[in-house]
Amino acid sequence: MSRRILEGKGVAKSFGGLMALRQIDFVLEEGEIVGLIGPNGAGKTTLFNVVSGVYPPDRGELFFDGRLISSLKPYQICRLGIGRTFQIVRPFLKMTCLENILISLIGRGERGKTLEEKKKEAREFLEFVGLRNRENSLAKDLTLIEKKRLEVARALATKPKLLLLDEVLAGLNPSEILQALELIHVIRTQMKITIFWIEHVMGAIMKASDRIIVLDQGEKIKEGKPEEIVSDPRVIEAYLGESNA
Amino acid sequence: MMKTWISLPLIFLLIFLPFFLSQYWLHVMIISLFYVMMASSWNLIAGYTGQISFAHAAFAGVGAYVSGMLAVNIGIPPWLGIFVGTFVASLLGVGLGYLCIRMGGIYLSLTTLGFSEILRIIITNEDRWTRGTMGLQIPGFFTEYSKMSYYFLFLIVSAVFLFILYRLIHSEMGLSFRAVLNDELAAASSGIDTIRVRILAFTISSAMAGMAGGLYGHYLMLITPDIPSLGQMFLVLAMAVIGGMGSFIGPILGAFVLEVLSEYIRIYGEYHVLLFGLVALGVARFAPEGMVGVIKKRWKVKESP
Repeated sequence: MSRRILEGKGVAKSFGGLMALRQIDFVLEEGEIVGLIGPNGAGKTTLFNVVSGVYPPDRGELFFDGRLISSLKPYQICRLGIGRTFQIVRPFLKMTCLENILISLIGRGERGKTLEEKKKEAREFLEFVGLRNRENSLAKDLTLIEKKRLEVARALATKPKLLLLDEVLAGLNPSEILQALELIHVIRTQMKITIFWIEHVMGAIMKASDRIIVLDQGEKIKEGKPEEIVSDPRVIEAYLGESNA
Repeated sequence: MMKTWISLPLIFLLIFLPFFLSQYWLHVMIISLFYVMMASSWNLIAGYTGQISFAHAAFAGVGAYVSGMLAVNIGIPPWLGIFVGTFVASLLGVGLGYLCIRMGGIYLSLTTLGFSEILRIIITNEDRWTRGTMGLQIPGFFTEYSKMSYYFLFLIVSAVFLFILYRLIHSEMGLSFRAVLNDELAAASSGIDTIRVRILAFTISSAMAGMAGGLYGHYLMLITPDIPSLGQMFLVLAMAVIGGMGSFIGPILGAFVLEVLSEYIRIYGEYHVLLFGLVALGVARFAPEGMVGVIKKRWKVKESP
């Protein structure tokens, strides 16, 4: 059996009276690609925010690489090896692409590397996502797909063991989706990074994931292989509403 | 290349200009340099990390009073005193920063505003030590008073400040500052300890204000609660905003222009601060990048007609 890289035990989070997450248990094994799906408001992004430390869970515990992380701050969790992208992309708009990546490299807190060495490394990440020719453009001048690529490169530059991708495919056209899937494939196979991703583009997530977790109204209603998910009546009900038949 | 062509003649001008200036204009230049230090160091926190602090003049007051009172009461020479003043200002900076930076935004502004007023009231009321609004007479740096010596002292310290600020802004630390300003959550998710970065910027900036205040006090040789007053604070704010917040040149330009301008409208008394406040508001609304932003835009238009 392979190693558990991320484990959540009874994770709960509410905002005022709204229970965004109710006692979620889940496990991610090293090297997996796990999809997280569910209708709007199911608590998917909340789960990502709790994992990455944006807010601590009200109850429950989170373990990363066997280490309790539920009380750590976002920058500490990032340094341990969890990188993330945001649903609404959040590049540093008034900074160049190169500077955007540099921040992640600086955030790693490695000593003994000069800024020039870090710039060189940052260019490799830009090259990897195909933005090398844009290194001196301000992030605000990029197109949506370029911003998304920058966001992924920025997350990768933190050298994560686990990557949380929040709707990276949303807003992309079919050929761009194919390119993005190719990128995800490379991240997994060449960089050996475990991937946990939220997606609404069903075809893509079903094809690319090893396993799928389905959330609905803050609860985990189903977990399993993609083919098991698509035929599960509870999942269909959560997405399409109760059948009257 | 461009930069060298502009800065070389500027350096020559700054070195040789004082020999052609009257005592009065020399005084204006010295005060301008004080404001260059104040506005540029305030720009580090406000322009580069987005924390609008109102305690900057208060820290200058701390520097001036600590150094001044040490000189008057126990005879510590001003050369040493200003370093003690700087140290005390930076300690207060760490303390205040630690307290209110977690709150962020408007709360930071309110807390620093409160701190600033409390400090001014203490200085005004504890007249046994500070002589209150009558002002405390303190010794100067030089045994033989000469505006020329002060000019060069202020010029050298300003240059050192600007050099430090420039290096800081263009270092990894400076990149982190800008990342925090751009998007705090994204910075934290990239592994940046945003609280530490902001406290660090606040402390460096406070220390610089303390040093500038100390120099200013020993130049005037009479320190009053006007130094840590909000009037002074808003003048510094107006200089940074009108010159161009978040740019390196902006506050320098703003400090010179506003100080020289205020000499001409001095006859209207305290109203000049009000006027600058209104202009700063207008600039913040219609030209958020200040004079530097406007000049840059013009330049671009000329380049590509």
